[in-house]
Amino acid sequence: MNLRLSTGPHLLSRESTQTLMLDVLIALIPTTAAGIYLFGSRAAWVLAVAVISAVVFEWLWQKLTRQPVRVKDLSAVVTGLILGLNLPAQAPLWMPVIGSLIAIVLVKQLFGGIGHNFLNPALLARGILLASWPAHMSVYYLPTRVLGATSVAPAADMTSAATALLRPSGFAPYDLLMGNIPGTIGEVSKIAILIGLLYMLFVGTVTWHVPVVFAGTTVLLTWILGGDPLASLLSGGLLFGAVFMATDYVTNPMTKRGQVVFAAGCGLIVTVIRLYGSYPEGVTFAILLMNILTPLIDRLTVRRIYGMVKKHA
Amino acid sequence: MRLSFKGGIHPLRERHEGKNASKGQPIRAYIPQSVCIPMDMHIGAPSAPVVAKGDRVKMGQVIATAVGGIGIPVHASVSGEVVAVSQKQLLGKNPSTCVEIRNDLQDEWTELTPLGEAETAPAERIIQAVRDAGICGMGGACFPTHAKMSLPEGKSVDTVILNGAECETFLTSDHRLMLEEPGRVVDGLRLIMRAMKVSRGFIAVEENKMDAVKAMQEAARGREGVSVVVLKTKYPQGGEKQLIEAVTGRQVPSGGLPMDAHVNVFNVGTAAAVADAVILGRPLVSRVTTVTGCVKEPANLLLRIGTPVQEAIDAAGGCSEEPGKVFLGGSMTGIAMPDTSMPMTKANNGIVVMGQKEAVVAPPTPCIRCARCLAACPIRLNPQRLKELCDQQDYAKAKKEHVMDCIVCGACSYVCPAKLELSPAFKEAKDKITARRI
Repeated sequence: MNLRLSTGPHLLSRESTQTLMLDVLIALIPTTAAGIYLFGSRAAWVLAVAVISAVVFEWLWQKLTRQPVRVKDLSAVVTGLILGLNLPAQAPLWMPVIGSLIAIVLVKQLFGGIGHNFLNPALLARGILLASWPAHMSVYYLPTRVLGATSVAPAADMTSAATALLRPSGFAPYDLLMGNIPGTIGEVSKIAILIGLLYMLFVGTVTWHVPVVFAGTTVLLTWILGGDPLASLLSGGLLFGAVFMATDYVTNPMTKRGQVVFAAGCGLIVTVIRLYGSYPEGVTFAILLMNILTPLIDRLTVRRIYGMVKKHA
Repeated sequence: MRLSFKGGIHPLRERHEGKNASKGQPIRAYIPQSVCIPMDMHIGAPSAPVVAKGDRVKMGQVIATAVGGIGIPVHASVSGEVVAVSQKQLLGKNPSTCVEIRNDLQDEWTELTPLGEAETAPAERIIQAVRDAGICGMGGACFPTHAKMSLPEGKSVDTVILNGAECETFLTSDHRLMLEEPGRVVDGLRLIMRAMKVSRGFIAVEENKMDAVKAMQEAARGREGVSVVVLKTKYPQGGEKQLIEAVTGRQVPSGGLPMDAHVNVFNVGTAAAVADAVILGRPLVSRVTTVTGCVKEPANLLLRIGTPVQEAIDAAGGCSEEPGKVFLGGSMTGIAMPDTSMPMTKANNGIVVMGQKEAVVAPPTPCIRCARCLAACPIRLNPQRLKELCDQQDYAKAKKEHVMDCIVCGACSYVCPAKLELSPAFKEAKDKITARRI
């Protein structure tokens, strides 16, 4: 009899990095489907190129640097898909490739690979693309579904989905909710994002803290400062960012209290940029700034452990 | 409302904590052909053998006397002939002195001297009777029970909790004991309460054993100061600190003992042994052990102390497939054994046989900071951070960040999606910090 020896626990949870990533991908199905439905096959191409290039860059980097190849953990698929969903459907196809290169190699692998990047890879990639090719990144189009299947005309008067906090004229709350508004592939359909959030809450991928506090802070502050709270919630990338990017495990704090501070900070920065900044949208920079503060928040929100009580006589 | 604590996990939820196979099996006595009784089953100095090869012993006869203040004697668990007194390498660091007895199958008891009934036995003599019976914590801790019952000068206890949580996976021995012999458990609790002059006693049972709750409630009816409380099914609900937090709302101060929160906790099996010792005069010679996992007939066996593990597995029908791992206790904190010839001790509440496939552990992958370990930790530590410090061997900093408060329950390791060996690292850190006096 050849018995294995090890310390307990001898049986572990069935969750692995791969199953967690798979759950995020499942949660992204409604958003992905809505994006392709709304923007047509062009959106599918952008997403496919983003995902494939992210996986290829991860595989290549790990091969070239002689590291164990971990593409099976699906994290590169998630990064690629989220990056693609952050792009306008009309983006030239080299943009998702450059974006994936930035996300996977520059942000993730150069800092030590999965778990070690201090910024959200897809978000920093989006930020760099936005700064480098503003013409491609900040002109959004109305979904082809809204314009009619054949003609894809730029809705130049609506340069951004998040035209500050004035409710984008002509868009009823219903259109904002369903995604019949200009924007990136993934951010427009709020209903699809919320279905994804419900799934992640149900299976326990994320807790409510970050999405609810992030969105709640934004809505509350906007209302206090005289903006349109409903539009602040349903326009732009707020929900997509709050549900799929601010919840990134690696780049947000580990305690619940820390996550609340982080999410409130995100909401504050978004509101300030939207109301007073020169950019029409602030979700990307808000999350990136709070990513940078994450180690500090972690240090300041250490929990009081069991037993920190006075010894009774 | 179910009582509970902050944090914790629900291991093997999809498999009903692994308990379904054995929880319906009534306790069944198994008589071994021979026993091998170690002298160091309890915490404290090993007992000194007083028998030699060739001696005839009766069941319950003292074969080793107590050494030191917290030491306890050891008794023959069968009647028969001593065939060897020798050193054996068991699961401890050093070899253990063991007395081997060949069973003559007569089950002839030595002369027993009962002290009296649960409510009438002289209170001041109970603790001595418990010591004489060789009782130590049967939930796995093996701390001599009489020592726990004797409070040092200046300490006081107002509450006794019997731990029937049995939060560990696979184990059903306490469940069956409470279900089948609730009277013995309550008698034991009353004796402990009377000996310690405590007026409040709780029997705490997890929600997944409602039949046992009912049995205990019936047995506790009309008994002075005794109540049964239902706990949420959550691991490590039966951890001493978590149990105290759940039942009394108090916390054991960091670095302190339960008595610093004015509470003492005893396992339900220990209480039953106390009842036997006082009411029947019987020393601790057998205990209920769950034998389950990949065995043909999962069972709750009443085993003589010193029964070889292999014999217990055979009594449960033998292995149903080639075993890959065998551990004593549940899957969270059970101790894996190199071979099955080793004897059962007073603390062994379970034997679990795992198949080859289940015994393979997934290799660790990088941490993704998912914070599941933080949510799981019942002490509210940051296992992710502590693991980094342990990997850097920065034990001084790990101590500062409270690694010594870790109870090594394994909840963090269980939930980790990266399959990192968190709690083993903390166990090692604690040992090194103690050894090096960091």
